Amino acid sequence: MSSVELLPALLVVVPILLATVPIALGLRYDRTGWSVTLATTVGLFAGTVYLATVVYGGSGTNQEVAVIHELGGFTAPMGIELVADTLSTMIALLVTGTALGVLAFTRVGGPRGNTFYSGYLLLVGGLLGLTMTGDVFNMFVFLEIVGLGSYALISSGRGPEAAVAALKYLIIGTVGASIYLIGVGFLFMATGSLNMLDLAATVPTLEGQNLQLARAAFAFIFVGFAIKVAQWPLHSWQPDAYQHAPDGVTPLIAALVSTVSAYALARLLFTVFGAEFIASTPYASEIIVTVGAVSVVAGSTLAVIQTDVKRMLAYSSVSQFGLIVAAYGLLTETALVGALIHLIGHGLMKAGLFIAVGIIAIGYGARTVDAYAGLAGERPFVAGSMAVLLIALVGIPPSIGFIGKWYIAVGAIEAQSWLVAGVIFLSTMLTLAYVARLLERMYFTPASALEAGHEDTATVGHAVTDGGTATVRGTRVTIGMLAIVIFVAALAVFLGFAGDAFFALLEPFVESADLEVSP
Amino acid sequence: MSETVVTDLRPLAAVLVSAIAVVFIVASYRYPNVREGWSVLAALAKFAIVASMLPGVMNGTVYKWSFAEATGLDFVAGVDFALRADPLGMLFALLASFLWIFTSFYAAGYMRGLDEHAQTRFFAAFAASLSTAVGIAFASNLVTIFIFYELLSLVTYPLVAHNEDSEARIAGRKYLTYTFFGGGVFLLAGTVLVYWLTSSASGTDTATLEFQAGGIELLTEAAAADPAIAQAAFYLLIAGFGVKAAVMPLHSWLADAMVAPTPVSGLLHAVAVVKSGAFGVARVYLDVFGLEFPTAYPLSVPVVGDVPLNIPVAILAAFTLTAASIIALRKDHLKRRLAYSTTAQLSYIVLGLSMLHPIGVLGALLHIPAHAFGKLTLFFCAGAIHVETHTDYVSEMAGIGKRMPLTMSAFTLGAASMAGIPLLAGFVSKFYLLIGAASGAEVAVYGLEATWLWIFAASLIVSGVLNIAYLWPVVYTAFFESEDRHDAKPVFEFPAGGERKSYGVLEGEADHDIASDGGSDDSTRKDRYAVNENPSDADVPFGPGSGAGSTAAGENPVAADHDDTDQDDHTDEHHDSEANEHHETDDEEHHDDHHHGGAPLGGWERRSPLTFAESTWLMLMPITVIVTGAVTLGIVPDYAVFLELADTIVAGVTGEGVL
Repeated sequence: MSSVELLPALLVVVPILLATVPIALGLRYDRTGWSVTLATTVGLFAGTVYLATVVYGGSGTNQEVAVIHELGGFTAPMGIELVADTLSTMIALLVTGTALGVLAFTRVGGPRGNTFYSGYLLLVGGLLGLTMTGDVFNMFVFLEIVGLGSYALISSGRGPEAAVAALKYLIIGTVGASIYLIGVGFLFMATGSLNMLDLAATVPTLEGQNLQLARAAFAFIFVGFAIKVAQWPLHSWQPDAYQHAPDGVTPLIAALVSTVSAYALARLLFTVFGAEFIASTPYASEIIVTVGAVSVVAGSTLAVIQTDVKRMLAYSSVSQFGLIVAAYGLLTETALVGALIHLIGHGLMKAGLFIAVGIIAIGYGARTVDAYAGLAGERPFVAGSMAVLLIALVGIPPSIGFIGKWYIAVGAIEAQSWLVAGVIFLSTMLTLAYVARLLERMYFTPASALEAGHEDTATVGHAVTDGGTATVRGTRVTIGMLAIVIFVAALAVFLGFAGDAFFALLEPFVESADLEVSP
Repeated sequence: MSETVVTDLRPLAAVLVSAIAVVFIVASYRYPNVREGWSVLAALAKFAIVASMLPGVMNGTVYKWSFAEATGLDFVAGVDFALRADPLGMLFALLASFLWIFTSFYAAGYMRGLDEHAQTRFFAAFAASLSTAVGIAFASNLVTIFIFYELLSLVTYPLVAHNEDSEARIAGRKYLTYTFFGGGVFLLAGTVLVYWLTSSASGTDTATLEFQAGGIELLTEAAAADPAIAQAAFYLLIAGFGVKAAVMPLHSWLADAMVAPTPVSGLLHAVAVVKSGAFGVARVYLDVFGLEFPTAYPLSVPVVGDVPLNIPVAILAAFTLTAASIIALRKDHLKRRLAYSTTAQLSYIVLGLSMLHPIGVLGALLHIPAHAFGKLTLFFCAGAIHVETHTDYVSEMAGIGKRMPLTMSAFTLGAASMAGIPLLAGFVSKFYLLIGAASGAEVAVYGLEATWLWIFAASLIVSGVLNIAYLWPVVYTAFFESEDRHDAKPVFEFPAGGERKSYGVLEGEADHDIASDGGSDDSTRKDRYAVNENPSDADVPFGPGSGAGSTAAGENPVAADHDDTDQDDHTDEHHDSEANEHHETDDEEHHDDHHHGGAPLGGWERRSPLTFAESTWLMLMPITVIVTGAVTLGIVPDYAVFLELADTIVAGVTGEGVL
């Protein structure tokens, strides 16, 4: 076993083990959590980058370039594999990069305390495990680790709402994971295997009752992940969780937890079951596409009517993941590439947006759309970065948001799925509806004019109080926070020119999924 | 004509020069003079870069810069991000960059004259708009043009919503909705369809979105296999560009966008933005589908039979140019009147292109610069009147020729050009449009095609008459009426269907006009007794007539005191640090007061045209230059490069020029 093959295991094990360190050191020192976490995430990021150079440096099919670690030396299909292929490596880069970036916010922006950073590392470890695992049961384990980490982090928010939101997420999330587990059970009954590649080889050969079992498994797995990815109408945990989580936690959860779940769904759909199975299962593809398309419309509509910015962006996630799920269901190569690019792009943009929201809450005391009035004049840098990210989210080129939308749209047309194509093109307008609302508040509504009208309403009062308490706690906006938001905004635009590069990097995986180009 | 493609950085430089200027404009926000200096410098540089490519382009060279060649990467798989200076692109880029030079002077005069807030944002967005407009001109494929088309919508939004009051915000929302529906939905959908058609026709999965004079060949092949999809793509692209070209029923954003400052209405909403739509329609007809496509794959309509694809577009355009002219008749607000005129004139271009006859196409292409010079003159004049006298309504302009003789003379010439009076730019293009319609009717194949073309020719003439009908009253009231003796304007002042009582010049009506209201119930013209009514008072600090203002101010001491203080504060602030924009927003109320105008007490002051005392040189110089351009285009079209350029374009598409 060469040294690079140790990396997938280290990336998963190191953060989970080091998660205990902040607590242990916390017995003696008060503020070690951040440093330990920083050192760990820097290490993880460096490891992932090295892994990426190996994976993308190789040439050949997805299976040939992948770095595979067999845990404990037990060979597949009995043992558990950790696989870094062209797709999972890219997701791992997003996970470690975002985890590193969010730290720039949490150092001063909070939440503080060593237990928070233990949760942070546990979550990152879980996410990396979920990304790399090559075993469907092991995936459930990591799903639960990610869940536990998120519940803990969300509940660390102040006030009873955070506790309720965490509890709601805990109940619904566990139900989702359990439904997935039932699916895995059916799949195991049908095939007698849990290893993904082994399953991929077995599933197409299934017949009769075993095929029915596999179809049942497929239904359970899809519904389980529809909950985890927060597809309408199973999304109800997500807006609460995003809104009430502490400002330092929301970017992490919004950018990574749902993203990695959506990645896992892609992995199951295209590696485990395969396009052939989905296409031959009656209505499977139609159901996936419909769930996604409905989520796009419902999510955006709900986003438009929100008053709280975090909640608005949360509903926006429902809609954007709808786009991704719909693209999965189209079963074309181009749409799949589009979905995966949008997965990464959306994660990046949402991370930046939620960090910006955190900065604005600290520095300007604004949390509602109305309270954002006049922001551009008062906080030009964070407002500018946020504007760039919002515009990228609409999918205006050149930006990463456009690249994803373009491939998904081309994929929809190739699949001749006119309804989905219509939803995708209209999604621009739906996204614009809530984005423009915020932009207009930030740039073209003078703060004074609005405050005069709203002075004694509860919303502004709440915002001001919030800002007040923040100052009392000594929280302030640091250069690091601003730098990270500006960097993310610039990256979102810069990656808009990398559409072809993304395509080339993801091509081995997409080819391994063996989709017909135009069914 | 043979075409040689040369790799050159200049198309990219022409796009980027004003984008880079944006950075400098924002960075020098503390120093207004430096900031405006960057605008002018960028405009000059941009024009120089574009003009330097002109001789080569006229000789059949195409300058091209490609992202793929520069970096080895496509923008998205199979599609390059490329800029290319071909004759059609040059026509638009040359026009936009030339007019920007003078608009940047004018904008400086206008914004300072009104002491506008957020000037840095204004000038930055303006420079960015020009960047994207030239990007649209030089875009070499559908994806690249889509990128710049979307960016143009985005960067012009701050200009529309500039006033930051609820009217501007609502106009901004409408603007975003319309333009993004056009760009993000129609245009993108059409582009994706073309991508799919060409990639399935190529047999190798490689799509072609690159513009080709005379139409993309692969697309023509694909259309043969699947006409329905090709037709859908055609209409989606036309609709996408039609939104910005303000073809009815997608036009209503344009009139609302007139809340923007006048330089924006002038250069962007009469030239760069709206023409990008018309230009896009030209690209679709000439370089994407080709002139044969619409007749080769007609729609089969029940009862009527086969209808070529261009005819519905042309019908909409002909309807728009007639209807918009009629609507303009009833608009009292001068800028709105001009906006409907723009709507009508843009449809001339769309109609000319849709007639598909080479001469009609030539006329349409020539109408792009012809209308630009004429309409920019008109808008500049409207803006100068607004800055100097705060008069926005035609009904309040009686006798204004005395106050602003040069401006109103230029307005007259611009109006004559709009109406297509010979010796002015508008005549040349309309002449070719009419010839095009007639020659098109001669060679028409389909049943009703010839009839339609004659109807289009008739609508062009009717609209010409209507042009006179809605622009002449402005000239008439300015020069041949006086503030104390003028007729009522029944067409736009009275309710539709006419007034029940008789009207005429009543005793004391003129006084009433000034003291209370212009006879309109428009709510924006409330508060009519403030000294802001007084035109010369508002000249501070740039206008020459503050002495005259004091007389009028004396009659109304309380208000005058209050207002003087206000003005003084403003002036100080203005000189000390213009950067301090927070203060400006507090003055929103103050700005609102500017919306009422008309002659001051005692009538218009007479200013000689020879002393250039009616406004600042920053505004008079651009007006003079642009109106001279309109005359030059009308008298010696052969020497004013645009005719030759338009002929080169037609020659590139049809194989031979028409001249």
